[in-house]
Amino acid sequence: MRRYSTLGTIGWQVLICAIVLSVWQWGYDLRARLPWLVPDLLDPYFISKPSMIFDNFLIQSCLKSKLGVFNGWFNGEFAKCLTRNENNLWAATAITLKNTFFGFITGVVSGFVAGLILGRSDRLSAIFQPFITAVNSIPRIALAPIIVLAFGIGDMSKIVTSWIVVVFLVFFNTFEGARSIDEGFTNAARLLGASEWQITRTVVIPSTMAWVFASLTPAISFALIGVIVGEFIGAERGIGRLIIESEARGEASGMMIAVVVLMLVGVVLSAIIWRLQAYLLRWQRQRSAE
Amino acid sequence: MSALETSATTSPRASADRRVEVKGLSKSFQLAKTTIEAVRDVTFDVRRGEFVALLGPSGSGKSTVLNMIASLIRPTAGEILIDGKRVVSGRATPNVGYVFQRDTLFPWRTVADNIGYGLELSGVSARERKERIAECVARAGLRGFENAYPSALSGGMRQRAALMRTLIVEPQILLMDEPFGALDTHTKIDMHEVLLRIWEREQQTVLFVTHDLGEALTLADRIILFSARPGRIKDMFAVDFARARDAVKVRETPRYAELFQHIWHSLGEEFIKGRSA
Repeated sequence: MRRYSTLGTIGWQVLICAIVLSVWQWGYDLRARLPWLVPDLLDPYFISKPSMIFDNFLIQSCLKSKLGVFNGWFNGEFAKCLTRNENNLWAATAITLKNTFFGFITGVVSGFVAGLILGRSDRLSAIFQPFITAVNSIPRIALAPIIVLAFGIGDMSKIVTSWIVVVFLVFFNTFEGARSIDEGFTNAARLLGASEWQITRTVVIPSTMAWVFASLTPAISFALIGVIVGEFIGAERGIGRLIIESEARGEASGMMIAVVVLMLVGVVLSAIIWRLQAYLLRWQRQRSAE
Repeated sequence: MSALETSATTSPRASADRRVEVKGLSKSFQLAKTTIEAVRDVTFDVRRGEFVALLGPSGSGKSTVLNMIASLIRPTAGEILIDGKRVVSGRATPNVGYVFQRDTLFPWRTVADNIGYGLELSGVSARERKERIAECVARAGLRGFENAYPSALSGGMRQRAALMRTLIVEPQILLMDEPFGALDTHTKIDMHEVLLRIWEREQQTVLFVTHDLGEALTLADRIILFSARPGRIKDMFAVDFARARDAVKVRETPRYAELFQHIWHSLGEEFIKGRSA
């Protein structure tokens, strides 16, 4: 692969961002002169504008009052603003993150364990095969209303929705990984005296790790999607709730703030997974010294 | 029958001297709807401390015999005794080490952790492990690569590390399935040197599968020649070069040439049969 200079790459990235943001900010102003060039979608009524979004962000996050004055950190205005609005941007982000985290963790752990057990047992996988295929062909998001009905509009229903979208993804990858273990490794371990449990711990789990990690980046986005959909359907707090509220008010900038926050959250979570993977699978990256 | 064979097959031995006894061993595989007879009625003994090469063309069932001795494959008929005890397939026999054709080093473990794997399994303390690993690393000439992952090593280094992973638990019987088959000629002869020095020191009982006559002559005390499929014992040859051998110099002796020629024709017939089968 040809290597490009980092500086040049960053330059292009900055340029692309600048173009997109400029079109977003000023594109619609051109409509008066060049109506054929500018589609209706650029109407700030639908997609707001970067400047409006930023302004609204400062207000919703209690950094600025509605009158446009910056809230002081020390005179208690910031804290007062936070308590006035139970679902302020900070609280909403925290609650969505918390539910995503629990949905993700429970989904990964249960999917991993189930995948490992079924992947190592021909008998169990034969028994469960048709059920798994059937359940997997349901679009999991379609279950969200039922889950909210069953678990209420609290945090639990969001965690369950999130869990159900994550668990299958991780399960299938772990299952495939456990099936495709090189017999040479298990034989080598067995001949060195490893018990079944030692083989699982020292051979099966490490060699399945690459497969598991391949599912974790999509899993984290899925976990976030599960929580947001749950919040759309019924919630008192959370970023999904903020989006629904802004939509009801016809306030595009409010929705956009939530979207941007979700994007940042997704990027940060993926980066964490990526760092973890780079560490745990470091043996994959060291290439031949020859 | 030449004098070469009789010396290997008829010398009387006390039964206590027998480490490995293979009796009437057969193996058939079911492939689609045809039955493939891989091994037919193989019987031989291996003495304590003997180095035996199982020589034959590919498909002659020599690896299958080795894998049955290693408990990896269940025989269709016959039995295997190691130190008088019957081998149960699927259960590793203590004291038996196995070296694979393809190095099966765990790619997620460093060289040191791979070598120490067997000690880790049996719960040897971290301190003792470290000492013994260091010793093995030195013997295998892998100093400086302790913390490298296998993917960073050359084929010869990997096979040396794999050999040490097997030897660190000090097995008294060593089963080797074409361990140097994938190496180039020079690396292979280097490995012969390494193996000969280890064997001279520790006097393990070795069963070494190969299709390379030169390799068998360099290393073994006795060569068991397998026929093309179905694998049977066609012949046995004593290899009577003096120990300790030099893996390079032994090849230059007249006796080596004599033995080589003698066995070469017999082996060649089987290669031809194996090809037409």
